[in-house]
Amino acid sequence: MAEHNPYVDDLSRGIIRENPVFRLLLGMCPVLGVTAYFINGLGMGLATTAVVIASNVVIASLKNYIPAQVRIPCFIVVIATFVTIVEMVLQAFQPALYEALGVFVPLIVVNCVILGRAEAFASKKPVLRSLVDGVGVGIGFTLALGILALVREIAGQGTIMGPDPESAILLFGEGFEPMGLFGQPPGAFIALGLLLGFANMLFKKLNI
Amino acid sequence: MHNILRLSVTLVAVAIISAALLTGMHNITEPVIREKEQREYLEALEKFFPGINEYETREIEGDQFDLVYDQDGEKLGIMATVKTQGYEGTITYNLAVDTDTEIIGIRVISHSETPGIGDVITTDDFQEQFIGKSFEDTIQEGEDVDAVSGATMSTGSMISSIRRTVITIGENILDMERKAFALEGLADGVYRGSVEGTYGPLTVEVELSDGRFQNIEVIEHNETEAYFVDAYPEIPEKIIEEQSLEVDVQTSATLSAERIITAVINALEEAPESGSGGGDN
Amino acid sequence: MERLLSIIFIYILVENFVLQRFFGICPFLGVSRKMETAVGMSMAVIFVMSMATLVTWLLYTFVLIPLNLEYLQIVTFILVIASLVQLVETTLRKISPTLYQGLGIFLPLITTNCAIMAVALLAVREEFAFIEAVVFGIAASIGFSLALVIMAGIRERLELADVPEVLKGSAVTLITAGILSLAFQGFRGMLTL
Repeated sequence: MAEHNPYVDDLSRGIIRENPVFRLLLGMCPVLGVTAYFINGLGMGLATTAVVIASNVVIASLKNYIPAQVRIPCFIVVIATFVTIVEMVLQAFQPALYEALGVFVPLIVVNCVILGRAEAFASKKPVLRSLVDGVGVGIGFTLALGILALVREIAGQGTIMGPDPESAILLFGEGFEPMGLFGQPPGAFIALGLLLGFANMLFKKLNI
Repeated sequence: MHNILRLSVTLVAVAIISAALLTGMHNITEPVIREKEQREYLEALEKFFPGINEYETREIEGDQFDLVYDQDGEKLGIMATVKTQGYEGTITYNLAVDTDTEIIGIRVISHSETPGIGDVITTDDFQEQFIGKSFEDTIQEGEDVDAVSGATMSTGSMISSIRRTVITIGENILDMERKAFALEGLADGVYRGSVEGTYGPLTVEVELSDGRFQNIEVIEHNETEAYFVDAYPEIPEKIIEEQSLEVDVQTSATLSAERIITAVINALEEAPESGSGGGDN
Repeated sequence: MERLLSIIFIYILVENFVLQRFFGICPFLGVSRKMETAVGMSMAVIFVMSMATLVTWLLYTFVLIPLNLEYLQIVTFILVIASLVQLVETTLRKISPTLYQGLGIFLPLITTNCAIMAVALLAVREEFAFIEAVVFGIAASIGFSLALVIMAGIRERLELADVPEVLKGSAVTLITAGILSLAFQGFRGMLTL
């Protein structure tokens, strides 16, 4: 790997070494809340990615004009603006997904991952690197949501690509009785806990 | 001083830019959202009422009722948009009925029932059992339609909401009257009727003489005691007092009260006409 | 009255904000290690959450709706919550230094506690009346505190348990939370509004 290229480093950091979910345990509410179905988890991941990239870029380009004392409120407004835009776009063009994600869409605004990147990275680094950083963090977050949602949907519903019956693929045939628990709150906690343990084990083996 | 000014100006500027941006976005997406909702509703209308030409909206107790007419101004039926409380949150659905209140179709618009459990309310299997049912049927759980085991709260609440909606349409829009129970014609005697409750059957014993309710007793039930005490013996007492099944139902015990009433109706159906010599039933 | 009692019961037990609705997971994992911090955080959340619901509800009903600016909801709510936290922090430091000592360190963490934002958004989405919204805010925050304090009690004991190396820390906390959530499932369906 090209260790000296800062862009590669910026991109991979968010995905592996500082994965927001598996390593930093940030933004856990949507991770647990919308992962009953893979589509919802993926949609939430992409929505968050869009916000983190946009806010990173805008904040990095505005950083010289914003006085340090009011930087947090300004960051919050920028993030909230993009969250609202994402909400409007989802409502207009992906109403089923918007309905399924519910209140977790506006709650992207309080996802600590986004404010964390703004404060720790975008407010100090150049625009392009902030963009790459946003992409990396977004992919890392989406990856975690996607994996958890996949596990939960397969165990809890026995399908992938649900809940829409038209796209849902039954994995185990009619006789399979899914573990409904995984579709519900307790299953979310347990699945994420086990997945974290698994990730810890993997990271340890690979020495990351 | 200069510093504070600069801080405020920055904050205000950021806020104004944000508000302006959002207003712009809002103006773009808002019509798309409206149009989409409208189009889906129109598609549903056309599916349930193929001959639709125009419709007229009426609002009753917060729910929307659209009276559908064809090209000749002939009434085709009614499409209701109803909200009801499910197991986890509000369920919004469309109910289409013809001019005899016979159910043509159901479309769940939004719900937040448990995935894989309560969301059976969106399936054809659940919805199709309502088709053809009407004002004349009582649309009772376990009688005309079945709740789904494991999801009794979600399905039960849909069933009672659909029943209420059909009754509202029948009484308030189509001015229909429910089949009156001609008590006078029924033979004296003691009759039993049952209805399936959430946790098991509820059975009543109805004593009739001279075409009047003399006594109504619940001899078996599996209702939640805390709610049941609000319905019994109050509901039977009211029925006897008013000699009518159209009694006011306490809100805290709606389910139990409605079950008692249905059980009484079922008991009356057992009663033979007084002239018929009372053969076995 | 009946409806208010239902709201209280539902949002403390049935729809517990942490264990059933997944709001406020970050502080739930972060400060549940010790009972002392859990209680401190709980107090701060009850305080801010009740006030936030009150202010955002008034703002939404009397400013945003009349001006047809509902779509500015997210921006205004988050700003209100952020300034409210700031205000509470400053006032507390001046008025009651002892209380500030107890709650002060938790206050900055609260701005990004999604439970606060969630309560403000839900109060509007559920179309609660004013009193209902305030009661909802209080009940939700008590529910949050309940989960947090129970978890702290368990975790203090868990410290001594022999947990597999890879599950140590957050992983085992999440699994425990899952079992706790399973226990709270028992309340499901008991009451609806």
